[in-house]
Amino acid sequence: MRKLKVLLVDDEIMIREGFKRLFDWEAHGCEVVGEAADGIEALRQIDALLPDIVIMDINIPFMNGLKVIEVSRTKHPEIAYVIVSGYDDFSYCRKALQLQITDYILKPVNYEEFGSCIDSLKISMYESKTSENSDLDKGDERVISSIMRYMQEHLSEEISLSLLADEFHLNPQYISQLFKNEIGVGFLAYLTNIRIEKAKKLLLSTALSVTEISSYAGYSDYRVFTKVFKKTEGITPSQFRREFLDRKKAEI
Amino acid sequence: MMRMEIALILVLLFVGFIYFSAGRRNTPLHKTFSALLIITPLHLAFDAATVYTVNHLETVPPVLNEILHRLFIGTMPIVVYLFYRYISILVEEETKKPVPFHLVAKIYLGLAELGAILLPVHYAVTEKGNYSDGIHISVCYISVAFYLFVCLWLLLKNRRQIDGKKKAAIGVALIIEGIVSVLQAINPTWLISGMGITLMTLAFYLTLENPDILRAELTEQKMSMLYLKSQVNPHFLYNTLDTIRIQAQLNGDKATADLLMRLSDFFRLSIKTDKQMTALENETELSDAYMELMCCRYPELEYNCDIDPDLGDALVPNFILQPIIENSLLHGLKNKGYRGEITVSAKMLNQNCIEIQIADTGSGFEQGVKNKIDEMLLHYDKHKTNIDSIGVLNVQKRIKLLCGKEFGLSYTENTEVGVTAHIRLPLVREEYK
Repeated sequence: MRKLKVLLVDDEIMIREGFKRLFDWEAHGCEVVGEAADGIEALRQIDALLPDIVIMDINIPFMNGLKVIEVSRTKHPEIAYVIVSGYDDFSYCRKALQLQITDYILKPVNYEEFGSCIDSLKISMYESKTSENSDLDKGDERVISSIMRYMQEHLSEEISLSLLADEFHLNPQYISQLFKNEIGVGFLAYLTNIRIEKAKKLLLSTALSVTEISSYAGYSDYRVFTKVFKKTEGITPSQFRREFLDRKKAEI
Repeated sequence: MMRMEIALILVLLFVGFIYFSAGRRNTPLHKTFSALLIITPLHLAFDAATVYTVNHLETVPPVLNEILHRLFIGTMPIVVYLFYRYISILVEEETKKPVPFHLVAKIYLGLAELGAILLPVHYAVTEKGNYSDGIHISVCYISVAFYLFVCLWLLLKNRRQIDGKKKAAIGVALIIEGIVSVLQAINPTWLISGMGITLMTLAFYLTLENPDILRAELTEQKMSMLYLKSQVNPHFLYNTLDTIRIQAQLNGDKATADLLMRLSDFFRLSIKTDKQMTALENETELSDAYMELMCCRYPELEYNCDIDPDLGDALVPNFILQPIIENSLLHGLKNKGYRGEITVSAKMLNQNCIEIQIADTGSGFEQGVKNKIDEMLLHYDKHKTNIDSIGVLNVQKRIKLLCGKEFGLSYTENTEVGVTAHIRLPLVREEYK
């Protein structure tokens, strides 16, 4: 898989430096190709470098980050964005859920947990790619898509590489490699991602309790679930529900 | 009648003395009131002098009498103008909008002064006593009526925006001056115009300019300034903290970076005090950050938190956990050299009630202290706060106020010889649609 090109947009040099040097881009199959400190520069860099992923601070000079996304979307619809938002302004994160292939992280950025955000972007990018060209001519793609479908259907159960290997009569190493090659994400990272995505969906669409949702998402221990959720989302499941449902109340 | 004027002057001089001896800020309002305190006794002095001269027309030279009269009448519009200024500044402060009469008020003042200097002076001589009469004295009445109506209009038009205390002060002052002026017009020999002015000054002094009230307000302002500061600064503070954190991590110092991360978490969470009630989860997040930092300072401290995740969104009064935990640290674990454990847990007692427990393995209660604390928490509303108990008492007060009298904080001794705080709260959840 080719390396993904990343553009960093933040008006504070220290935050850009942090992103550049404290996160292992290499290990996540990415490379930082450019930086921008304001909205105009960001637009120019996007046009010039055609990045795959843009890490976007909202509060930047000349033109705010959301506006930059909006403008460049029309020209480059395939670019994925990570919105960097403060805790005190969840509206940006909510926006991220509405925009396609956009994720968010909260400031102060925890670089150790940033990997899950990149993984999640890669998964959405892969999903949108496969949904566009549904003619799966390559064998690997057909295999992985059926594995993915199986995982989705058995999310509330225990899933492991060896279990999948038995189910599909394949070598566990092969499956692991398949995920790495096709999506660019490790098997476990993928599993965690879809479990958490499922939980997020349930949190917003049902009135189920956190404990119930945790078991639907495949976590038998709610403590583990809360911990993983907090790690990847920066907030706890109930906080997530509160923050993102407030929006719905406000919009109605 | 001169005796009344002298008494009034003495009262005003006394008020002026107290007023000027208490140092105060140089605001337009205080400047106006200071001017009032100087001009009013002066006006009263001329008043007193004319009361004498007008009743001794035969002995006092007519020129002196006329000059004193012109000074007396001339200072009157200034005094009422200053009242108008004072009230208009008050109104402007309250409504944050400029009062539209300043130019008119100044032009009128000029005209009134011209009248006071140029119009002919008349005296009425009656058996009850003599008094100034005719067109010259009407300058006074017209001035009072003019400014009184402007002020009344200001008060009525902005009655919704003006704070109750100030409204009362202005209203009372206007009513007093109105009544006194009408009485003076009906009975010119009563010569009580000075009384109205003095009472008006006193009304403002006692309600708005009293040093004690002012001091109380200043403390209040200082507090709210501090609060405001802490509202503005945190953004700077935790953005800077974050910059330092990244720098530390870039320098390879992960431990420092993590501590700074927790510190900025603590700041962020502790300034989120805009709501009175918050989710239990936010409370535990704050105490997590606090205790992680404390545990780093005192490595032999241990902290556990076990909250049923389905209670995570239960609503509890803001900022109740951290003060109790701090109390356990300072009064329990400190005595053991910060060796020991603090455990926070929460459970449902029944469908409508939850209990949060903060248990420590500290030194426990000393002889008699338990009773004292029980008594203090029971009579929380009568108790004077002292430094030691202010946090705990404050928590108790807020729970009783926000959740009801049947809920609240209590302490028991636990099996680990330490102390357990029990916080009972109603189970209320935020509603989702």
